[in-house]
Amino acid sequence: MTPDTLNFIIIDDSKLDCFIADKIIRNTGKAGDIKSFTNAATALEHIKETPPPADAKTTVLLDIQMPVMNGFEFIEAFEQLPAEIVGGYNVYMLSSSINENDLNRVKNYHSIKQFLNKPLTSSALAAILEEQAQ
Amino acid sequence: MDKTEKIKILYIDDEVNNLHGFKASFRFDYTIFIAVNVTEALAHLEQQPDIRVILSDQRMPDKTGVQFFGDIRDKYPSPVRILITGYTDIESVIDAINLGNIYRYVKKPWTDTDIKTAIDQANQYYLTNSMLGIKNRELQKAYDELDKFAYSVTHDMRGPLLSILGAIDIAQGIDDIADIKEMLGMMDKSVQKLDTFIQSIHDYYNLNRGQMKITDIKFDEIVKDLKDIYDITGKTNKIAFEISVDQQENFRSDEMSLRIILNNLLSNSFKYQRRSIDNKYVKLDIKVSNSTAHITVQDNGIGIDEANVNKIFNMFYRATSEEMGSGFGLYNVKDAIGKLNGEITVDTKLNEGSTFKVTIPTK
Repeated sequence: MTPDTLNFIIIDDSKLDCFIADKIIRNTGKAGDIKSFTNAATALEHIKETPPPADAKTTVLLDIQMPVMNGFEFIEAFEQLPAEIVGGYNVYMLSSSINENDLNRVKNYHSIKQFLNKPLTSSALAAILEEQAQ
Repeated sequence: MDKTEKIKILYIDDEVNNLHGFKASFRFDYTIFIAVNVTEALAHLEQQPDIRVILSDQRMPDKTGVQFFGDIRDKYPSPVRILITGYTDIESVIDAINLGNIYRYVKKPWTDTDIKTAIDQANQYYLTNSMLGIKNRELQKAYDELDKFAYSVTHDMRGPLLSILGAIDIAQGIDDIADIKEMLGMMDKSVQKLDTFIQSIHDYYNLNRGQMKITDIKFDEIVKDLKDIYDITGKTNKIAFEISVDQQENFRSDEMSLRIILNNLLSNSFKYQRRSIDNKYVKLDIKVSNSTAHITVQDNGIGIDEANVNKIFNMFYRATSEEMGSGFGLYNVKDAIGKLNGEITVDTKLNEGSTFKVTIPTK
């Protein structure tokens, strides 16, 4: 059964980028709970401590280049978490990077569903929602 | 000629008389190592890594000169190889060039001039090659830096631009003025961040490619400019700015580098404040004594995690999620201080503040 709303976690050190993602998600009308984190380490703590709802996966939009803990460091720590937690999330990597190494590196992490270019657009988000509905 | 300036030569020949004759003729011109067989020659090469020219006889019992050169080429590529031989048939010449990669061919019986000319030219060749090696390494380093630079520049310049682009896209579908104003505020920050980054690149370029201009430094005047800028920031954000300058003696240095140092340290102190506290302050203290400038920049801001202190001067390193930083400022500070033969130390504690101490000797 397709749930009516989806929960989101946005991880980006730029407040403006968090704001943009938040707006675009709300505009879809399918937004459930949306949480923004400017620090990936804080986001990881949050994920560790809150069990995701059993009926639908939470979508994570993750930036690559961030201070303190970057996107790749986050995903490595995330994949170490218990399988039932990891299984509760769909992670999408989001970046302004046009670096080939970054793009290739994304493929090495099985928990990353897809790489998305910044800025996030409503059509890109619509495609994600479409995919999750199936 | 000073003994230390003599270049090192290795001569290998199975005829001991030839070796001694050679040594007698050239011992004043070069530091000569002689070897009666391959084993001895290899021992010399092992012990004297700066041998520049190797001369070898072609006809030896255990190996020909060409074979010897062919064998050592990979392990000792730097010394220039000269073959001495009575045989001048075309086959051995071709072998010498193809297998042994010979630089010169000296015909027996040789004259002192033949040998001397060959060695001097070989030495020139050696010098050119090693200079090329040094230049290549420098170039490689510059390329590596450029790669790192290009990677971060694409991110740091595109990042704010793409944010703004995204915001514009959303704003077009929003009617609520308050929402739009909130977004404009954030777009403003993005533009400022980009501008700061471009200025840092300019600083970086000046520090790396620009010439230093040593003049008499009047710290009073530099500080007056800084006070004008940071008094406004201080008032807006309720941060007390205390300055003390004590300069009784002459001090000579590069003013632009000093400004880069002071400006970056101060801007960090003003930027990374703790929002929650009331008595926010930034203190600048400059004292010139014993031909040295002691600069202290102190704040009671967010401080730096002890685990990350050693990384803060690295290019593009950012210690905090506060989004204003580009990771360029302190790198430029360290670069500038290095150019002025100065030193910087930092004393910092998370959630208590940071104190940067700089000492710079006069030029």
